Amino acid sequence: MDYRIKLAKRMLFNQKGSLFGAVLAVTIGILVIHVNFVIFQGLFDAIVRDISDYNTGDVIITDEFDFIDKSDQSLIRWFERIPVVQAATPRLSTSSEMNMTKNGKLIEETRISLVGVDPFNDVRASTVHETVTEGSYVFSRNSIVLGSNIARDLGGAQVGDSVKVLVVDRWGQDQIKRFTVTGIANSPGGQGFDYSGVIHIDTLRDMMSRHGDTGSFMVKLYDHSKALEVKEFFLRSFPNEDFIAETTEEASEAQLEGFRSGIAMINMIGYFGMMASAFAIVTIQMMLVNGKTRQIGVMRSIGAKRKDILIIFIFQGMIIGAIGAGVGTAAGLGYTVYAKETKMSFNGSLPLEVTYNWEKVIQTALMSFILAIIASLYPSYRATKLLPVEAMRSV
Amino acid sequence: MSSVLEINNMSKIYGEADNRVKALDDVSFSIKQGEFVLIVGSSGSGKSTLLNMIGLLDHPTKGKISIDGIDTTTLNDDKISSFRNKKLGFIFQFSNLLTDLSVLENVLLPLQIGGNNTGEKDAMDLLKAVGLEDQIYKRANKISGGQAQRVAIARGLINKPSIVLADEPTGNLDSVTSATIVQLMKSMAKKLNQTFIIVTHDREHFGNVDRVITIKDGKAFEGDMPSEMEITV
Repeated sequence: MDYRIKLAKRMLFNQKGSLFGAVLAVTIGILVIHVNFVIFQGLFDAIVRDISDYNTGDVIITDEFDFIDKSDQSLIRWFERIPVVQAATPRLSTSSEMNMTKNGKLIEETRISLVGVDPFNDVRASTVHETVTEGSYVFSRNSIVLGSNIARDLGGAQVGDSVKVLVVDRWGQDQIKRFTVTGIANSPGGQGFDYSGVIHIDTLRDMMSRHGDTGSFMVKLYDHSKALEVKEFFLRSFPNEDFIAETTEEASEAQLEGFRSGIAMINMIGYFGMMASAFAIVTIQMMLVNGKTRQIGVMRSIGAKRKDILIIFIFQGMIIGAIGAGVGTAAGLGYTVYAKETKMSFNGSLPLEVTYNWEKVIQTALMSFILAIIASLYPSYRATKLLPVEAMRSV
Repeated sequence: MSSVLEINNMSKIYGEADNRVKALDDVSFSIKQGEFVLIVGSSGSGKSTLLNMIGLLDHPTKGKISIDGIDTTTLNDDKISSFRNKKLGFIFQFSNLLTDLSVLENVLLPLQIGGNNTGEKDAMDLLKAVGLEDQIYKRANKISGGQAQRVAIARGLINKPSIVLADEPTGNLDSVTSATIVQLMKSMAKKLNQTFIIVTHDREHFGNVDRVITIKDGKAFEGDMPSEMEITV
């Protein structure tokens, strides 16, 4: 082994306190970035996941003129012939007014969002039915699932209660229908239908006088990464229609844009943390150099060149960076595994969507390693500037 | 016998203007191969400054130092480092071993700095010669002061240098250990025909030597006493 590498290792490992401090600085720097990523990216991905699961699927089809007039079944069959498509389902929505009489008292909830679903296909393409915490999902033409907030606003509507819904049809006429509450939906994070009512799509079509019309098609894929391909294939296949096809990210861009900026800022804070750890390395290495001044003088006097001294201390920076990157990455991955296995959420809210972003893991480890080397440059340079005769006088 | 060291009109001045201190004043002398030379003088006389100049650890303000016929004042920093490594051996007052290395690794260090990784047998032989064959794997900070000074002697000799320079090699040792170290240096000098230049204020510990140079007020004098003639070339 090259004597410089041997000396760098020995000098560092014989100063266990300094080594521990420097490695800890790098480790904390990396851990902060991993924790930030798990929490904030996890929150972002969880919102995207819920938007996709509840509202848009992986690809959402709408029409430039508000309604799709192509038959549900023909479009569902068309999509389900594509091997990566798991399911497709039609949706129709409108605003409505709802009221309920409870204990002889009329409770009115104005202008709530009403969503029409195809009960058979919806459970295949969406997980909204999983948010039904009491009762069951829409199963008949006169059943309604109320979002938990609507149920609360209606004075505590329960399964079995009857509600009256008013919708204005396409001709401007009020259409009123009575429904039986069959389920209450409550989604952690609130991306589901907590503020909506869910009914059978054909009932809503009848009320809106929009027979055969559909507001949107949710298309769920086995592999989300194929969303763009499916979208483009769909648009190529119907060039003469007025369809709009968007991926989840495209459809929810306005909603996610602010969040994305927030994540970028949090990441910046993480990288500043890493910079702070680099300053800690500079300080610790300066202490190492000061503690070894006499030995540097001895080495110089017996023939070591300035570059040899430089190599020794830069190699120490590499050791600190490598150990710190290793320990920090292990700690970060440990936290990620913990967050994933425990389905981490905050205050029982949205469960984080924890993913292993290997590219980012490697990038963070590499960046901290390089930063540790850069941080060791100045102390190393200082070490080379010591004159042997001066260094030898150091006690 | 050829000269291994030649110093011509060398002066060293520290400070500037009103604060000028002439540490060495127009010093000239030469030393032959195999000589065992003591440089003596009172504290602050300039003897350590002289040794630093010969060891190329510091630059003279004026004059020339030639070692093995090479004018060292013209060498750049890297060449000076290589020159120190190949041509000079150092023994310091506090031995100055690298405490992170073992005894053997300390002795091997000058060879490894020079790019030679095959000198383990030579190092073992030298450690045996200085009586430390049973200490070779000990950490340098786990041995006594006398043992450390023996290791320093072995380290100073490992590259077969033209000159071994020793700065107060017995200055930190008790009288019994000092006598052992002096004997060891003398015997190694004789055995290897090695030039030794030793700065000391313990003149009596060294007994008979080939040559004594006395430094007084920055000037060099031949012999033990300052009353001797100033050396001129």
